Amino acid sequence: MSVKAFELVPAVERDLLMGDKARINIECIECCGKHLYVGTNDCFIHHFLLDEVTSSKGKLSYSAQKLLHKYLGLKKPVAELRAASALERLIVLCDGIVFLVDMVTLETVPSAAGGGAKIRSVTAFCINENPVNGDPFCVEMGVLSSKRRTVQIYMVYEDRVQLVKEVTTPEQPCAVSLDGYFLCLALTTQYMILNYNTGTSQDLFPYNSEERRPIVKRISREEFLLAAPGGLGMFANAEGISQRAPVNWSESVIGAAVCFPYVVALDESFITIHSMLDQQLKQTLSFRDGHILQDFEGKVILASIKAVYVSVPLPLERQIQDLLVSHRVEEALILTEGAQRNIPKDKFQILHKRILQQAGFIHFGQLQFLEAKEHFRKGQLDVRELISLYPLLLPASSSFTRCHPPLHEFADLNHLAQGDQEKVLRCKKFLISYLGEVRSTEVANGCREDVDTALLKLYAEQDHDSLLDLLASDNACVLADSVPWLEKYHKYFALGLLYHYHGQDSAALQLWIRVVDGDLQDSTRSDLYEYIVDFLCSSSNLDLVWNYADWALRKDPTTGVHIFTKRPGRKDLPELNPDDVITYLGKDSQALILYLEHLVLERRIQKEKFHTHLAVMYLEKVLSLLSESSPDEVQLTEARGRLQALLRESSLYRVQLLLGKMENCEQLLLERATLHGKLEEHDKALHILVHKLRDFPSAEAFCIWASSCRDSEYRQQLFHLLLGVYLDGSLPANAQAAARGGTGELEMAAVDLLNRHGEVFDAVQVLRMLPEGWSLQLLRPFLGRAVRASMHSCRTSQIALGLAHSENLQLLHDRLKERKKPIFVSKKKGCHLCHNTFSEPAVVCLPGGVPVHTHCVAQRVTDSPTKRQLTNSSNHT
Amino acid sequence: MPDKMKRPDVKLVLLGDMNVGKTSLLHRYMERKFKETVSTVGGAFFLKQWGPYNISIWDTAGREQFHGLGSMYCRGAAAVILTYDVTNWQSLAELEERFLSLTDTANHDCIYAIVGNKADLTDPKAHLSRTSDGQPEDQTECEEERTEPQVLSACPTPPASPASLSGVMLHKQVTHEDAVALYGRILRYKGLDEKSSLPAEKVCFETSAKTGYNVDALFETMFDLVLPSILRKRHENQESPTVDLEDSQGAHSRKARIGCC
Ligand SMILES: Nc1nc2c(ncn2[C@@H]2O[C@H](COP(=O)(O)OP(=O)(O)OP(=O)(O)O)[C@@H](O)[C@H]2O)c(=O)[nH]1
Ligand SMILES: [Mg+2]
Repeated sequence: MSVKAFELVPAVERDLLMGDKARINIECIECCGKHLYVGTNDCFIHHFLLDEVTSSKGKLSYSAQKLLHKYLGLKKPVAELRAASALERLIVLCDGIVFLVDMVTLETVPSAAGGGAKIRSVTAFCINENPVNGDPFCVEMGVLSSKRRTVQIYMVYEDRVQLVKEVTTPEQPCAVSLDGYFLCLALTTQYMILNYNTGTSQDLFPYNSEERRPIVKRISREEFLLAAPGGLGMFANAEGISQRAPVNWSESVIGAAVCFPYVVALDESFITIHSMLDQQLKQTLSFRDGHILQDFEGKVILASIKAVYVSVPLPLERQIQDLLVSHRVEEALILTEGAQRNIPKDKFQILHKRILQQAGFIHFGQLQFLEAKEHFRKGQLDVRELISLYPLLLPASSSFTRCHPPLHEFADLNHLAQGDQEKVLRCKKFLISYLGEVRSTEVANGCREDVDTALLKLYAEQDHDSLLDLLASDNACVLADSVPWLEKYHKYFALGLLYHYHGQDSAALQLWIRVVDGDLQDSTRSDLYEYIVDFLCSSSNLDLVWNYADWALRKDPTTGVHIFTKRPGRKDLPELNPDDVITYLGKDSQALILYLEHLVLERRIQKEKFHTHLAVMYLEKVLSLLSESSPDEVQLTEARGRLQALLRESSLYRVQLLLGKMENCEQLLLERATLHGKLEEHDKALHILVHKLRDFPSAEAFCIWASSCRDSEYRQQLFHLLLGVYLDGSLPANAQAAARGGTGELEMAAVDLLNRHGEVFDAVQVLRMLPEGWSLQLLRPFLGRAVRASMHSCRTSQIALGLAHSENLQLLHDRLKERKKPIFVSKKKGCHLCHNTFSEPAVVCLPGGVPVHTHCVAQRVTDSPTKRQLTNSSNHT
Repeated sequence: MPDKMKRPDVKLVLLGDMNVGKTSLLHRYMERKFKETVSTVGGAFFLKQWGPYNISIWDTAGREQFHGLGSMYCRGAAAVILTYDVTNWQSLAELEERFLSLTDTANHDCIYAIVGNKADLTDPKAHLSRTSDGQPEDQTECEEERTEPQVLSACPTPPASPASLSGVMLHKQVTHEDAVALYGRILRYKGLDEKSSLPAEKVCFETSAKTGYNVDALFETMFDLVLPSILRKRHENQESPTVDLEDSQGAHSRKARIGCC
């Protein structure tokens, strides 16, 4: 496959040049702006005006108008023509003589007085396109002579030529090119570079100029193109180094020129066009009797023996598009990038981006996604171009229209895949990953809605896990477009999230409830019910909570009540009023209990109402269990356990109320004992425990519990009370108790109590209470401990007494000392304790004679009760 | 490919008789595969990004016809890789007879490597590809995409060595010692002192473009060795900035025909 880089357009046709004269041939051409000069073998110069004509279809053609022709009078072919437009001269080589001709009249310029305007014995000459001399009205020329092995450098002026330098060459030169001081020469057996200023030379490579015509073509600053053995076009710079790989011509190449980025060469029957960028042959044009190929100011002109043509480069963009059409992406990009320096920067960027995008789509069409992505990225593709390939992905609201002319040939994905579902799927997978990558980058700027909506649709369709992540995070999915799509794919949970994201929590809940109730099918979350509860739990919209809690509680009260109990205490969430919740939960005792437990036990709200309510609820539960014909023991134990715990721990509930509720209930004796304890009716409580329940450990525990926050005296009273109850019951006089046959039992309980809790009792009082007949042995542990305790307290108090006494003496001593000197109290001096001034004469003196307010000392003493009073009053002023 | 526009910092040239596998070595290194080649016409070059440096690697044509171009390719080279075929004694002899003189144009501190390619044909250990990236190499990959007749090349591609078809070990015609000896003679030819030059074991390689054996080692060693040369060149450029030869635009703007009609 090849590129169409150039088109051959006729410029001067045979008729115009020579009419029907058969033996006239073109020998040389020169073009300067619109002026075309043709030298012929019959020693004529023809002057044409060449106009570019562009047809309505954009096709270029040339119209040539003959201005003049002139016989030079030498009967020999005109070998070479060069324009020096600043001088208005043509430099002509004919019959071995170089001379000047007026560009307009074609008259030969006569020699000026100062010097000749002719050079003889010339085989070839060249113009320095990179002149070293700054004079604009002077042209530098390199001349090869047939007589000497030299190159001569001339300055050409309007009416004279002047030899400025002559350098000898090792062999006869036969072709020359000049750039700055550098002569590039084809000698008989090799090419060389010669600096005519310094005389240094550099051999390039061998070439037999007699066998094959050499080509020495200056192509850019200090760079030359040379015909090399084997039909190569070699590049060489002034240092003798090749910086580009050679191009491969035919052996019979006649002429060559560079028209960036192409090397155009002519041989007997073809024009070949190679790219300098990749050295590849890009185009071949057939051209019979080719004779001359030269470039003039970037325009490549060719001549056969009879006619002149222009090789018109096709616009770069056309060439690139042609390459892209044939899917030669790499070449297209090389060509584009190679042309960078020939195109204005901003224009290049636009072109380059577009080509990259097109290249991306070509790769995409071939499912080469990696390459595609890279090109899209470099080409800064509007992602919507890609999205729009996938039917229905862009939201209806999107303002996007594909760029024109289109970046690719595909109508849509189906067209691209030709019905191959596997391909479609791979393309979709690619888009998913691509959009996923770009959605948070600047690529998505300005089209986030389109990107996110497309992504949502793809995720939904492909059952992709990331759907939920997308919706749960910041996104720009368009609601109107996404709803039907998510419904279509039964992504109701996701849809709910989207509603939520758009502030439509109610819609979200309705949808989810339908899923939980089985009206809609979506298995995304098996715990959707719990999710809803959580959702309500942290919803800031209280109306919503009230509306949907009902459904949640109906579904499962224990979990449903989490809406109220698990509500996080965050600042941004409005609080629920507990009374409202209790009223709301009213009918549902199970949920209500849970909620009250939450208030009382977890949040420890100290409100009589809640505590009483909970206690009543517990009680009712117990009573209802008891009323059953055969109560479930486990449940009952558990329910009673809760009740008892609450009754014991809380001191806020209304005891009388509860007591009233269980007055007649003989099964709840323990609870009643607790309640009596709460009322400080300890005798009643102990009576129940000892006589009704005969539960001595509980009775003991009761004493400890009931006195737990009281002082030791209180506890002592209670224990004495209990002991009393035991002993009363054990007296034989107490017929009732004896009748029950528990006398011995109660006695033992009394003994155990004394032996275990001896320290609580007042031993003296106990001894008075105990029946005469009890053995000492029985009470040994109790008595032993009692004696030791009383001993201990006696001694402790003696020590305390002694210490107090000595302290008292110390203070007396201080006081006597202070009395000797006055203690000053003034309004200026502050009290050492509160730092306020004194307003009245009555003060207290701290040890050391420091006066302080009386009330300050009083304060200090009450604040630290362990501290004994260290002060003594003083009335001194 | 687009990087071809960059200016190379240093030049490396592959020299050697036709058919020794210069092009194949470069392909293996640059494209990481072994594919069918056509005998190189003229020359070709690749740009390799090596750290911050651009290294141009020239693949030359071994055919006699293009022999004359060799000096030009070698001009200014910082390293020359002289390549022979281990199964072909003549290919080593040619290095000394034909190619050594081409290197006269190379830098005075040019580094020379001597590489015996096609080691896979004689040496079983060269079947284990030794590549730096540690990836298993597809040893037999041959891209047979060129089914159309190759009209371009005047000289037809020589057939692959028969051994590569049969899979039998070939007789090794060139030993490592031969290569080391040649290296010694090259140093003498260059008038270099053996002691102050790089030791032979550092610059004499046996490689296989087919299996990838030693190929990365060869090129990477060379790159490391030319690094000082790059640094010196960069330094020189800072001292005396030279004209940018790539800048062809500048030339067009300075025309002889000023004030053109
Ligand atoms: N078995 C084997 N064959 C190889 C190896 N390297 C190259 N070849 C084969 O040798 C032949 C020549 O390889 P090229 O790389 O074209 O040789 P070249 O040195 O570039 O030849 P010219 O371009 O003509 O100078 C081809 O058929 C390759 O397949 C190798 O390491 N092992
Ligand atoms: Mg090759």
